[in-house]
Amino acid sequence: MIEVRQLRKVYPGDVEAVKGIDFEVAPGEIFGLLGPNGAGKSTTIGMLTTTIRPSGGTARVGGFDVAENPLAARRVSSVVFQEPVVDRSLSGRTNLELHARLWRVEPGVARQRIAELSDALGVADLLDRAVGDYSGGERRRLEIARALVSEPRVLFLDEPTVGLDPRIRHELLEVIGRLRAGTDLTILLTTHYLDEAERLCDRIAVMHEGRIVALDHPQRLRHELGRELVELHVRDDLPAALAVLRAHGIPAEDAFSVGSTLTVPLRDLSAGEAIATINDLGVATAISAREPTLDDVYLRLTGDRLAPAA
Amino acid sequence: MTALAPLATLSRRRFQLTTRTPRELLVPLVTPMLFALVIAPALKEALHTGTAYEAFVAVGTVGLLVPLNTMFSGLSVIVDRENGAQRELLAAPVPRSFLVLGNLSVALAVTAFQVVALILFALARGIDFHTGAAGLGWFVGAGVLFAIGMYGMAETLANRVPKQEEYIARVPAIAIVPWFLAGALFPITALPGFLTWVARFLPLTHGLALMRYGLLGDASGLEHIWSMGSNTAMAALSLGVVAVFAAALTAVSIRVFARTALR
Repeated sequence: MIEVRQLRKVYPGDVEAVKGIDFEVAPGEIFGLLGPNGAGKSTTIGMLTTTIRPSGGTARVGGFDVAENPLAARRVSSVVFQEPVVDRSLSGRTNLELHARLWRVEPGVARQRIAELSDALGVADLLDRAVGDYSGGERRRLEIARALVSEPRVLFLDEPTVGLDPRIRHELLEVIGRLRAGTDLTILLTTHYLDEAERLCDRIAVMHEGRIVALDHPQRLRHELGRELVELHVRDDLPAALAVLRAHGIPAEDAFSVGSTLTVPLRDLSAGEAIATINDLGVATAISAREPTLDDVYLRLTGDRLAPAA
Repeated sequence: MTALAPLATLSRRRFQLTTRTPRELLVPLVTPMLFALVIAPALKEALHTGTAYEAFVAVGTVGLLVPLNTMFSGLSVIVDRENGAQRELLAAPVPRSFLVLGNLSVALAVTAFQVVALILFALARGIDFHTGAAGLGWFVGAGVLFAIGMYGMAETLANRVPKQEEYIARVPAIAIVPWFLAGALFPITALPGFLTWVARFLPLTHGLALMRYGLLGDASGLEHIWSMGSNTAMAALSLGVVAVFAAALTAVSIRVFARTALR
């Protein structure tokens, strides 16, 4: 449903935001693009929605090339942008109706879809109020309803829960999870909330500095770090501590750091053995062991890797 | 649904947004009304001129109203960009040129409403217009084409400058300075020689001369530009100038929008 081949974007000033990425999204799949701010996620969505002009490569949405047939690509897709994108002085209903007309939905069908979607997304009672009076969560739900009015085959969600409070974020995740029930809607979403990606996505791609540095099922990515890892709060400098660990048989090739915390994925070594060894070395003020999470995968891929320097 | 249905939707959206801010309809009308109802009668008294001068200035104020209103309409482009609505429109399956043309259609409608209001006020003050169907045709043709060209300029500027403040700072230079040079308050032949030549190249000069020819039967403005014997030929030439202005600025505005809206 989405095919991306060597897609590149270079902004003026030679800023290469996306550096030749490749991926495919199957019909009905929820695919997540993860990465820190500036990784190139929103630029990628911009190119797929034809609101940003690619500098190279190709991308197809619903079988249509976004550069050669942008109108057709836009007709089969909808997007919910990261920032609020609504006419605030108009009512929710008018915003939905305008979208339906622009996507050429027959008026009778549009009325029915608006009624169904506003019920499903919990905005039915707000529809005749100006959108400027909506809360952040209400506006976001309206934007998702609007994107669905045209029954797109592909839905792009650019950081759909950013800036929302935890309760509303939780509700919205449930809504997004339900979206594809009974349909073959394909969803590409960007986020830097890893729990979101793990909960919603069939596959995720981690982007870092314009490149895809990992692409797989969330569970498989987690398993790449082994069954357990240890976290050390390090007293002195991290590279020196890492060198000590390696010299004493702790496998630290995939170690990564955040502040003064050093995280070391364990491969064949058990957590008990590793903790006992590290305790004897005296390089850490605190040690704990746990199972890897997607956060660890993300931090290892997008943070400072220590192994090459060690 | 026809191919133009999305254009009608975009026009409808802009109209709905415009009617929610009545200031946009009324504020541009204030200055021309002041001219037509206060300044022109005062000038007539002070300069000991007749009612013909009031009629001359009444048409001249159309030359202020159209640029002011179209330039204010251009602000909506910056508002759309700043509040993000432009991105939703860019992601819609409509040709990008429709986004410009939808705004243009509402700017034209609002300008027409204001010009009609101005003419009605002038009639209520007893100003006598000598016109027929053909004259009205010249007046409407000149007014519509000039408004299209000015909106093209507004849209182009709105897509070139990042902030509303910068945009507003440039409005006087674009909407008001030419008005002083284009024969709105006095014939262009009253200007110093080189400025008379400059005035002949301003689309507004041609527009005003045509509008006076159409609404007042006064071809002197056309003669000051062309110095030809046939009023109809001169009017056709001036209409051609304003048409080229409209076509060129519309094309430029669509091109600039397409280039700047897409990053």
